[in-house]
Amino acid sequence: MSNFVMDRRRFLGAGTGALCLPLLGAGKAFAADATIRMVWWGGDERARRTNEAVKAFMAANPGITVEPESMGWDDYWARLATQVAGGNAPDFIQMDYRYMFEYARRGAIRPLDEYLGKELKIEDFGKVNLASCSVDGKLYGGNVGVNSFGTIYDPAAWEAAGVEAPALGISWEEFAEKCAAFAKGNSKPKFHASADGSGSESLFEGWLRSHGKALYTDEGELAYTADDAAEWFRYWADIRASGGCVAPDIQALYKNTIETAPLSTGHAATDFAYSNQFVGFQKLNEATLAITGEPVKTGGQPGQYLKPSQMFSISANSEYPAETAMLINFLIRDPAGALILGVERGVPASPEVRDLLIPQLDEPSRKAVEYIASLTPYVGPLPPAPPQGAGEMNAVLIRISQEVGFEAATPEQGGAKLVDEAANVLKRG
Amino acid sequence: MTEAAHHDMPGRTGSHPYLRSGLLHALLMAASFVMLYPILWMLAGSLRPASELFGGDAGLIPSQVTLKAYADGWFGLQVNFGRFFLNSLAISVLATLGNVFAASLVAFAFARLTFFGRRFWFALMLGTLMLPYHVTLIPQYVLFLKLGWVNTWLPLIVPKYFAVDAFFIFLMVQFFRGIPRELDEAARMDGCSAWRIYRKVILPLSMPVLATAAIFSFIWTWEDFFGPLIYISNMKMYTVQLGLRSFVDSSGTSSWNELFAMSILSLVPIFLIFLFFQRLLIEGIATTGLKR
Amino acid sequence: MVVGDASPAGLPAAGHAVSGSRPSGFIRRNAAGYLFLAPWLIGFFGLTLGPALASFYLSFTDFDLLTSPKFIGAVNYVRMVTADTKFDAAIRVTFVYVALSVPLKLAFALAIAVALNRGLRGLTVYRAVFYLPSLLGASVAIAVLWRQLFASDGMVNAVLSLFGIDGPSWISNPHYSLYTLVALSVWQFGSPMIIFLAGLRQIPSDMYEAASLDGASPLRQFVRITLPLLSPVVFFNFVIQTIEAFKAFTPAFIISGGSGGPIDSTLFYTLYLYQEAFGYFRMGYASALAWVLVVIIALFTAFAFLTTRYWVHYDD
Repeated sequence: MSNFVMDRRRFLGAGTGALCLPLLGAGKAFAADATIRMVWWGGDERARRTNEAVKAFMAANPGITVEPESMGWDDYWARLATQVAGGNAPDFIQMDYRYMFEYARRGAIRPLDEYLGKELKIEDFGKVNLASCSVDGKLYGGNVGVNSFGTIYDPAAWEAAGVEAPALGISWEEFAEKCAAFAKGNSKPKFHASADGSGSESLFEGWLRSHGKALYTDEGELAYTADDAAEWFRYWADIRASGGCVAPDIQALYKNTIETAPLSTGHAATDFAYSNQFVGFQKLNEATLAITGEPVKTGGQPGQYLKPSQMFSISANSEYPAETAMLINFLIRDPAGALILGVERGVPASPEVRDLLIPQLDEPSRKAVEYIASLTPYVGPLPPAPPQGAGEMNAVLIRISQEVGFEAATPEQGGAKLVDEAANVLKRG
Repeated sequence: MTEAAHHDMPGRTGSHPYLRSGLLHALLMAASFVMLYPILWMLAGSLRPASELFGGDAGLIPSQVTLKAYADGWFGLQVNFGRFFLNSLAISVLATLGNVFAASLVAFAFARLTFFGRRFWFALMLGTLMLPYHVTLIPQYVLFLKLGWVNTWLPLIVPKYFAVDAFFIFLMVQFFRGIPRELDEAARMDGCSAWRIYRKVILPLSMPVLATAAIFSFIWTWEDFFGPLIYISNMKMYTVQLGLRSFVDSSGTSSWNELFAMSILSLVPIFLIFLFFQRLLIEGIATTGLKR
Repeated sequence: MVVGDASPAGLPAAGHAVSGSRPSGFIRRNAAGYLFLAPWLIGFFGLTLGPALASFYLSFTDFDLLTSPKFIGAVNYVRMVTADTKFDAAIRVTFVYVALSVPLKLAFALAIAVALNRGLRGLTVYRAVFYLPSLLGASVAIAVLWRQLFASDGMVNAVLSLFGIDGPSWISNPHYSLYTLVALSVWQFGSPMIIFLAGLRQIPSDMYEAASLDGASPLRQFVRITLPLLSPVVFFNFVIQTIEAFKAFTPAFIISGGSGGPIDSTLFYTLYLYQEAFGYFRMGYASALAWVLVVIIALFTAFAFLTTRYWVHYDD
């Protein structure tokens, strides 16, 4: 079949020509003063907004070219780590609270203190919002959005069950009682008052803090005991037993995404998530949702705190750190850029930007902003920096909460296990 | 041309031939529905509104049909989705050409030639199949970075011309060994060199496996996600898979409808390639006339 | 065709080779072989060996990706064997997955290939339909689709409820979640099926005609003609599918959301590796895990090759 081989050879010739195209068009601008590679994670909505803002930035700063890239959260960190390991990190890096500590401590991103007041005019963010993006006293990221954990619920569903929905200031005990009452008054099959929050590290943290404890101490050790953890698991075991929360296999469907949360899959009337996910939840749910604070301990400490939803950082090896700082400022502080980004990444930390934004917001976004505003008087201080291994502890908690949920372990055993594994994980780092 | 003429296993001469073939058809059709159900559901998902996707009663029939997802998916990203299709097509074609050609050369060596260390190289070749790519990822990235190939398509295409995909070598070895040696020996006695044996004897008789290899190579290159993720930064050079992944962000809202719509569309070209090469698979036998 | 000549190394026995009889010896005799092998040799030494050796070195280091690797000796390997419970879970999960998915997948692939090879009407359509799921390989849409089928209110439970059975949430229950992944793998049997079809096509029809003239039943023909002649292809599919099952990553990653849960019930080995490498910044340990996997797979493959003398029939 000599024809077959001949055709291949002709193809190869044409192919080499086609090959050259992406080589030539690989997007390096000529005669620019600075070229910044920029990377973030998010969906296409965020990409649309960010690209528009970037265009505005380039129009306002003709000497700077920005090359934007984005992808989903799942792929972001593997790709970023590969590029950093290869010495090819992008200049502008969107950062997450937990990863920021890892990257900062290993010197992969640079401190931004030298740009404060100059390229980064973000003093009006306030001490708390600046401190929340700092590691060991140095600023490592520009706060993109203020965020806090919260309770998202469907008011109509609670009404249908004949129980008053949870509101700001409700206690943990009251919450459990309401869930039990919901189970009695509910007529929808396979539907419960609440998701099973035992595996949610943020909720656990809120519970610990309201009881005067915390996840970690300043020295990076565990700040709770096996008894505390057992009490936490016992709390949720009781709710589970009373039918107040979803069954463990429903909760196990939750993959830390909005569409797998029991609220979105139609199994629960209440769920727990970060406030900047509220808009996403509303998009996937037909019913009109509302957001309020986590339960508290009557007479206890404030459980919640204001956290940065994400931050913008600069790579340690960036050739154009000052220009990158300008870009960061444009996106989070300059109304020309910040208004384009909106509250899609979180409530802006600058009061001025926030006020400018509010009139343009749609209903769900406004609710998220109002939630942060109403919560702010009741928040406590930032917790200590998470130690190395904190990320792994998150996964350990989920796993043990599942073991308790599926009754492979009692709450007491779960508590002991959690503390034991924590000892290993934190030691390893 | 009726396919029934080929390799028709006797059995139709048994009793109740129509009942048996009818039963077979019924089973196959039931199996087909089961196989296709998830894809049908995805098709339905591409046509229904977002709020209906994950709630309680998301069956096969959408309550309202809208083509919005297709429009949003095609035009909604920074770059037109059609561009991604062209990119994937170019990369897949180039990679497949290299893969099939190079693998056939190497497989011929293993299957038909003797040389010092042949077993050793064969074992090494198989060994390259066993290492998970996540750990060679970073050293390879550094290698390509030094070559200046990062942010181009080169890391996805050039290695194929050097037969790095041991799967295809192994596949062809097994098939080449099924071709009778008498043909080789006859050619040698006529004074043919190894190259002529390869071209005139082995290749023509290997249409089924070459077509198979082409199908797989094309489809796998089309489906490959991790390679493009690491090596392509410029969105204009994205492949279809990268484009699809950009609809999904597990930390926030994902555009599931658009993802489903574009996934359905992206099945079309590879399906067509598959159908096209299927015929080569069948026709290959007709033209080679393999007889003893 | 003498079975005894089948070489255990899976290559043609040296005695059958037709080598030149020129006296200029070594170079002449090996030139052709090495010339044809050249592309692979260049690729291997240029692109594969370096990174593989580098990853082997990394397995003896503490490498957090963001700073340089620090040599620590065999610490990673020791920890893996003595103190890592997740390693045990990953091994267990992966072995079960391989043991279940490979035979099932091959059985379906062979059965359907044989059925389709009979020259049915609509053959092209069926073949395409059965291959279609394989085209969805690494799609993120798979996670949603599979949840649609196997979640508590999914399609499978809807069908079961017709029979009065109230099914659990298969995909999120630690006792059953792994089986949903086996089902996903088996659902994508299209690839080995195509290879079987190509192999079946290489079997000349006059063999069957001769046999049925002799009065052999279809079953006998299958066992005596099809299977032996197809055995090189069966062997190929078996080895390849086993290797790929050991290395399986994307299904578990996408469906468990990267967690390997619930309760590590879907913690595939390479998923665990990925978590260590990119989730917890322990690339050194991940490299050690990878090389242990290579050894495991190599042992399996070597064993498989040793068995070929008993059941695989090559024509040379």
